[in-house]
Amino acid sequence: MLQKYSLFAAALLAVSAAQAQTINIRTIAAQMKYDVEEFTVIPGAEVKLILENGDDLPHNLVIFAAGTDVLAVASKNMEKPEEALKRDWLPDSPAVLAHTKMAGPKTREEVVFKAPTKAGLYPFACTFPGHTQSMQGKMKVGTPGPGLTGLKFAVYNGEWSKLPDFATLKPLREGDIADNLVQLKFDDYKNQFGVVYTGKLDAPRDGEYVFSLAADDGARLLVDGNKVVELDGSHSVAEIKDGKVVLKKGEHDFRLEYFQETGEAQIFVAWRGGDFAATPLSKWVPPTWGGEVKKAKTDGGPKMPLIVGNEPVIYRNFISGAGNRGIGVGYPGGVNLAWSAEQLNLVMVWRGGFIDTARHWVDRGGGAQGPLGYDVFQPVSGLSQPFAVLASTDEEWPRTNKQWADGYKWKGYKLDAKRYPTFVYEWNGVKVSDRYDVVGDTAKGEAKLIRTLKLDGTIPANAYLRLAFGASITPEGGGFLVSNGHFSLEKRDFQNAFRIAADGAQIGGHNLLLPARAEMKITYAWPTDSVK
Amino acid sequence: MKTLSIISVLFLTTSLAFAADKESDFYKITTFETPKETAMEVSSIEILPGDKLALGTRRGEIWTVSNAKGDPSQVKYQLFASGQHEVMGLAWKDGALYETNRYEVAKLTDDDGDGRADTFATMSDQWGVSGDYHEYAFGSRFDKNGDLWVVLCLTGSFSSNIDFRGWAVRIKPDGTMVPTCSGIRSPGGMGFDADGEVYFSDNQGPWRGASTVQHLIPGTFQGHPGGNKWYSKAPNMGSRPPDPKDNSRMVTERERIKELVPPAVYMVHGKIGNSTSFICCDMSKGKFGPFQKQLFVADQSFSNVSRVFLEEVNGVKQGVVFPFLSGFKSGLIGGRMTEDGQLFAGGSDRGWGAKGGKPYCFERVDWTGKVPFEVHEMHAKPDGFELTFTEPVDPVSAADVASYKGREFTYSYRAQYGGPEIADVIPKITSAVVAPDNKSVRLTFDVLTKGHIHELHFDGVKSADGKPVLHPIAYYTLNEIPAK
Repeated sequence: MLQKYSLFAAALLAVSAAQAQTINIRTIAAQMKYDVEEFTVIPGAEVKLILENGDDLPHNLVIFAAGTDVLAVASKNMEKPEEALKRDWLPDSPAVLAHTKMAGPKTREEVVFKAPTKAGLYPFACTFPGHTQSMQGKMKVGTPGPGLTGLKFAVYNGEWSKLPDFATLKPLREGDIADNLVQLKFDDYKNQFGVVYTGKLDAPRDGEYVFSLAADDGARLLVDGNKVVELDGSHSVAEIKDGKVVLKKGEHDFRLEYFQETGEAQIFVAWRGGDFAATPLSKWVPPTWGGEVKKAKTDGGPKMPLIVGNEPVIYRNFISGAGNRGIGVGYPGGVNLAWSAEQLNLVMVWRGGFIDTARHWVDRGGGAQGPLGYDVFQPVSGLSQPFAVLASTDEEWPRTNKQWADGYKWKGYKLDAKRYPTFVYEWNGVKVSDRYDVVGDTAKGEAKLIRTLKLDGTIPANAYLRLAFGASITPEGGGFLVSNGHFSLEKRDFQNAFRIAADGAQIGGHNLLLPARAEMKITYAWPTDSVK
Repeated sequence: MKTLSIISVLFLTTSLAFAADKESDFYKITTFETPKETAMEVSSIEILPGDKLALGTRRGEIWTVSNAKGDPSQVKYQLFASGQHEVMGLAWKDGALYETNRYEVAKLTDDDGDGRADTFATMSDQWGVSGDYHEYAFGSRFDKNGDLWVVLCLTGSFSSNIDFRGWAVRIKPDGTMVPTCSGIRSPGGMGFDADGEVYFSDNQGPWRGASTVQHLIPGTFQGHPGGNKWYSKAPNMGSRPPDPKDNSRMVTERERIKELVPPAVYMVHGKIGNSTSFICCDMSKGKFGPFQKQLFVADQSFSNVSRVFLEEVNGVKQGVVFPFLSGFKSGLIGGRMTEDGQLFAGGSDRGWGAKGGKPYCFERVDWTGKVPFEVHEMHAKPDGFELTFTEPVDPVSAADVASYKGREFTYSYRAQYGGPEIADVIPKITSAVVAPDNKSVRLTFDVLTKGHIHELHFDGVKSADGKPVLHPIAYYTLNEIPAK
């Protein structure tokens, strides 16, 4: 790599070689996920873990002892939340082996720790309340593989920009490498030289092996004379390239060819097999090398999330679960809802990210898009009209007309000075307005959704607003805890559970009903939070 | 050495002749920068008071634009509304902007005067939406009766899964929706002619051999039977007409189906365009050049604008399309012409590629003041056509029948998608008589074919000062042959 050359820098590189492994993990914005599902470290190795928090909520990364029930340990925080808050939600448990600090939105935290010496799977998770369920992964401590034996070097001199055919050249100097680790020595030449390393590798069993190579400048790895991975030409170590080879159990010839043109010089090689972790075969390890890292599966395709700033954001399009005339609203405070202009009713509430528009704003834009965030609940478990006249509170709620709720007329919405929408419609001549406010902020802890309905006109007798539908509706904490099993949206499973409170609310069968009156205030909250 | 001398001779010859006229000598396209924070996928444009414009986009935004008349670097944008489900129609009336989005016509007002919409009052949401992306809704301005028209795309290409897909509806001032025409396939835009008659553009597909411009007459069937089951919900429309027979001809089926209105103009597929969109009538009284009261019809796929002249023969609209202006930066969808003779246009290539090459654009067309030498109008006659020109012709070349070449063809009227040009007739042009003022030519054909598209080339015609016609091709849709 042609760069400003300094003899001092080259000499320093030679002595600073250290066997550290760096693991980079990011949080995926608005998805409550890490981008890494599993990473592998070598027992006792020094590990540097960098957590990049690209999300707009705080997240940490805590590594636990093998076999820990992380959800149970993290949930213990909620027994004494005031104290847990002081620890930044780090569980007070001996199971915690290592952890980053709580990384604020769009910030980065790192921690250096020594990997456990015992092989096994060590779970990691974010311990911020509500995050642990989906933000989990595994650190695998793997046995290191065998190293090289009988490693020799041969140095050549020459002015190359690609790997030469070393077989036709005469080495300048040859010798053994005592520690059997591939390395560069700068005591002879800093530029325009080549090295061929030869040695033996013992494959523990028949199977596929993966070799990783990084070099500045070019390098080629051959096993039993066959090329496995190559990075020819003059370049920096930015790329770590893998090559696979199937080997029989037993000893194999290792040959690594390398050349340096000018500037910086480095060589890295490692291997891994079915029953051992990625093991460096070189003295130097690139700072970006993470060993073996399994990326988490994320929804494919581009992401175009709508970001909610100081004002609510409205998104009218096909929203999963909200019918064909859904209106999404993302409110400041990290609370979002979907409202149906077919049923004239609230359909869905969630927290975290609002919505990803990519499905609709890329290509032709077909299909319905679900919430971007998490903890989605559906107060009346689907699409249903808000008001009905019931002969008795046990009466079944009327079945809805899918396209336009019978007796209802959609009139649009109005934005106030802060751009909060109030939906307006008519129900049998009664003018209804339906508005939502958010108290609190999900990024800082609790948040509640406050709904205000106003009715103008003659309200029929025995008219009810259905607040909730649930298999279980339990009076609790000054309101009701509603639970109605699970539902899924776009292959994501959600537990339909929430808290709700409204003066005069009464249970009628599986419904929570509120006698219709001129003004109604309803509070919605998540089960872990309070409606008060 | 020999090659070199040939080249220099050629060079001399061309430099001695006229430099060929280009479209841009007469009509100049100006491309505006648009705000970086959005993709200005213009799907509708409306003119607002105070020389402002409103742009509706596929992303559901509405932007107001100031200073778009002059120096493009002075253009200013303000976000008027966002989060709408596609804005495919905008109409300004009495201090309010009416948007047609996927499932409603809504009246948007800025109540506090900060330039942002505060009230989104639904006027009508009475057509069906099944969740299929294809069910676009294109809205018009208010017509001469104060109604707003919406054309509703089918569910996909063939069928109508929910109320009134494949229909044109009118929204009365009180919000009532009146089903008005059946037979729509996949619209790309709406517009009025100089008399306020309503047209929409439809796209090639089943029952459409090519994209079309069609006259929306209340009570009529526009040709695609996919949505005709909704006659049951439209008592005002009378009984359901018989479905057209597959693999027939438009001219044949018109005999059977009295409600069937033939396309006023076929926008010949692959030649004029592939995907017709906005329709603008030039009401600028000459500020946009010599084509007053003609229609300017855009194409999404070809990123161009064509020129349409219509006439009425035996009570049926028909006419001719000429190429007009190409080179827009993306697939045109929305457009409006101001009374000052500026044509604003914009669009997007998302989901359907466009020649323009850019993902979206917002542009303006100005007449440079130079009059192109073009066929101005083409009128059907009992035994041929009359061409009028924008400038006097050279009477010798214009009177020479060898300066013209005709071809007559049609498309099969069929359920299958699109279709080739079929049933060719090659007419003989028997005479070309130049009028005494040298501004028009009367052509007689040995044969005219009712229902056929009459393709006419006039490459040989020169202007009085020796120029060829800028666009020497015309496609006339001869629904009716006049008696005189």
